[in-house]
Amino acid sequence: MLRIREDRQAVARRIEIARVAVGAMLSLLAVAYWTVQIVRGDYYFSLSENNRIRAVKITAPRGYVLDRQGVPLVENEPAYTLHLYRREAKDLDASVAFIVDLLGLNPEAVRSRVERGRRDPEFVPIPIAENLGIEEVAAVQARAAEHPEFAITVSQRRLYKHAGAAAHALGYLSEATPEQIKNSNNAYGVGDWIGQKGVEAAYERLLAGVSGERRVIVDSHGREVAEEARLEATPGQNLFLTLDAKLQDVAEEYFKDKVGSVVALDPRTGEILALVSSPSYDPNWFTRRVTAAEWNGLLENPDRPLQNRAIQNMYSPGSVIKPFLAYGALARGLVDPEWRVFCPGHATFYGREFHCHKKGGHGSVNLRDAIKESCDVYFYTLGQKLGVDRIHEILTGFGFGTPTGVDLAFEKAGLVPSEEWARTKRGARWYPSETISVAIGQGPLLVTSMQIARGLAALLEGGRLPTPHLFYSSQDPRTGAQLRYKAEFVDGPGIAPEKLAIVKNGMWAVVNEPGGTAYGSRAQGIEMGGKTGTAQVVGHDTTIKADADKSRLDTHAWFAGFAPVSDPQIVVVVFVENGGHGNLAAAPLAKALVEARFGTGAPAAAPPVPSVRAAATDRQGVARATRRETP
Amino acid sequence: MIAGTLPGGRRIDLVVLGCALGLAALGVLFVASATTGTRFQGLAARQAIWIAVGLCAMVAAILFDYRMLLKFSFAIYCACLLPLVYLLAFGARIANVRSWIRFGQFQFQPAELAKIATALLVAYLFENEDDGRLRTSAIFKLGVIVGLPVLLVFLQPDVGLALTFLPLIFVGLYFGGLPAKGWVAIFLIVAVVAGAGWFLLKDYQKARIGTFLNPDADVLGSGYQVRQSKIAVGSGGFSGKGFRGGTQSQLRFLPVQHTDFILAVIAEEWGFLGVILVLGLFAALFLRALKLAQTARDRGGVFLVLGLTGMMFFSVVINASMMIGLAPTTGIPLPFVSYGGSSVATTFLAIGLILGVQYRRFANA
Repeated sequence: MLRIREDRQAVARRIEIARVAVGAMLSLLAVAYWTVQIVRGDYYFSLSENNRIRAVKITAPRGYVLDRQGVPLVENEPAYTLHLYRREAKDLDASVAFIVDLLGLNPEAVRSRVERGRRDPEFVPIPIAENLGIEEVAAVQARAAEHPEFAITVSQRRLYKHAGAAAHALGYLSEATPEQIKNSNNAYGVGDWIGQKGVEAAYERLLAGVSGERRVIVDSHGREVAEEARLEATPGQNLFLTLDAKLQDVAEEYFKDKVGSVVALDPRTGEILALVSSPSYDPNWFTRRVTAAEWNGLLENPDRPLQNRAIQNMYSPGSVIKPFLAYGALARGLVDPEWRVFCPGHATFYGREFHCHKKGGHGSVNLRDAIKESCDVYFYTLGQKLGVDRIHEILTGFGFGTPTGVDLAFEKAGLVPSEEWARTKRGARWYPSETISVAIGQGPLLVTSMQIARGLAALLEGGRLPTPHLFYSSQDPRTGAQLRYKAEFVDGPGIAPEKLAIVKNGMWAVVNEPGGTAYGSRAQGIEMGGKTGTAQVVGHDTTIKADADKSRLDTHAWFAGFAPVSDPQIVVVVFVENGGHGNLAAAPLAKALVEARFGTGAPAAAPPVPSVRAAATDRQGVARATRRETP
Repeated sequence: MIAGTLPGGRRIDLVVLGCALGLAALGVLFVASATTGTRFQGLAARQAIWIAVGLCAMVAAILFDYRMLLKFSFAIYCACLLPLVYLLAFGARIANVRSWIRFGQFQFQPAELAKIATALLVAYLFENEDDGRLRTSAIFKLGVIVGLPVLLVFLQPDVGLALTFLPLIFVGLYFGGLPAKGWVAIFLIVAVVAGAGWFLLKDYQKARIGTFLNPDADVLGSGYQVRQSKIAVGSGGFSGKGFRGGTQSQLRFLPVQHTDFILAVIAEEWGFLGVILVLGLFAALFLRALKLAQTARDRGGVFLVLGLTGMMFFSVVINASMMIGLAPTTGIPLPFVSYGGSSVATTFLAIGLILGVQYRRFANA
């Protein structure tokens, strides 16, 4: 009994020690939890917040682009993309087989996309097919119960409503390039669309709006459970262009089978009413992701459809330069309006013979008739009187040789030669005989269509150079508040009205008097003035001989016109590459455009801006993806 | 002494009972929190049923004389080990482990019952090892008695459950009075066996131990559980995010949150206060049970209480350490609180045995 008692005491002592040990152990645990929960609590709290909250970008609906009357040119349309959620798929192969069969997709393409998607975390959906049709969307959604792994998301895609129309004015969207992302200061990321060229690029910030953000709560599968906070996107501004869809259509139609460009603008403000560069391309290609074949087709086309010929290509102006030189000579008092030159069909300058386009000659012509009949011998003589430096002074005064500042990128400056230019830039001295060529718009002189349009506007409108522009107004789609473009001008030569009248009279005669070079293109119901041009194809640095064969078929056809003559409201410059003669190839379109501009009757002054508010509100929030069921 | 009176005028300890019931209630509450809205919805009700089953077993264990159980402990031990053998031979794998026997829509883990049976047999062993020194033969017997079920469960393979038997060896050796040189010898043996055992572990088991030693090495693999659990616990702060307000648990970042990681749910939703509540209840339960062991009327009763309490204490410490990365994730549930019918029911059975020893503490009872 005693033995047992002693043993009980020993056990009892050990139990006392065990009690202390148990208490100490649990206290230590409490201390450990204190460290994790109290000392490091904030750290772990932020980790748990990061765990559950994801920031999802809300892409702002991009503003529409409309013409000056409110005719929509560019809109957005819903684009449906099919995604595969791997976590929902019981058997990936069976899912792939199902969708390939349902939508008739290319099995290899789908499988390779799934393979690529496997590298991402499991909750990241794999895009399977883009741009589904509405029937395909319905087919997928009808099977949603059996195949929850497939989901359709809706996004907004740019829609250029008239395919290739005005493509060079509008530009296109594409995914931001690495440089654009780098330069955007985090505003753009991989896969974001950004305007390339045209007004899409020029007014990117206005059109794009400001993207918003949703802070969503996700579960451990990355599935959205709830939305915690939402910063709405600011939709992009709607952009009204100065373009007139009616005139644009007429010009597009004319250039369907031709290469060249058209610029029509309002000489009083510089508003561009029509802008065509042909051949064109369909900007929708880029938003649908260009196929390799389409891309190569665009790049390999020798006519370079992506180039905007009205501002990026430089040509010899030919005879359309004559009215500028005529006015310049008159204004400087170098010639009298009744100063006459006898044209026998050719003339000799500096020991070389130069031909007039009219073999038999024009006889005795004064300044007005020289313009009307485009007498080369008159202008050779005039050019000799002016000299190249004065020609340079006159033409640069009308804006040649410098970019017009139009709101489009990649504009060329052109080239107006001078003795200094020959010495410093060309490295070969100026030959006086070259001046004779320049006087009829040949030689090293190079211009863009846009420059001719602006120069003519300046000549007709008191000498200041209106900056051509496509921006008419912008409109906030939510408030309707508008921002109007205020016309800008660059100082130019002052215009003496009585001297201008003589030149204008000559240009009137070109179209409206028998014997005028464009008499066949008289406009109905409105008086149009203008000047034809037929330019030989020359290289930028080639000095061509004035006696080169003018009957070559590959001459470029020019026509620069305006109407009405008494109070010009439109300037039209038509250029047809290898089109033959300006009177035949170019002037008829100018006539058609002028008739379209005034044909409906009274000239519309400042057309009211119609509201596109209804259209704008209904597209807000459309970009939200179809909600997925969360179990 | 706080005590309740049973019919017949005898008292049972209300501290132990109260702590057990309190913990079980917390368990039901947080199993509900962790499973509502998931595919595990409804498990809280099941847990409540199992608690009721456990309470019946507890009452039976109180009323039934534990001395009878000790007397027949070898037979009980053999009876409880048989299903383990059966499972290894014929059992269906559930979650890759052969440890469950199905009864209709309920499943039972016979290993849980084997824990009780083993504790009984160990107590019976020490009932007769009463001459004040621990003989080598007793140590050998202890090793075999505990080693056999450990081996059977280890082969299922359920390492966590197998580990929960081991405190019985420690209880036997320590309270049996192993001298210092004995501890040294055992330490050396364990070191050698552990070294050899490393080669027997499955790859995922090695990975878990590796993860425990360096949790940041594999954030999305086995380190994920530890990391998410730590975030859950830590983000709870002092007073928690509120019941059912835990983002880690409600958004299911926590792994097996209603079973092994239930304490992380409590820590996230009720904060440090919740943890203190749980640890406090366990502390009261264990300290009280040890006190009761001292008052047992015989040596078998002392060792029965010590063995059962030791196993529970071990589970609590390992489980609570697991949550904050202080122990490897071994699949050891938190007694009373974690979801798991067999675990809850047999834990209440163990409480019944402890209370039975206390109930019969007077020699004349």
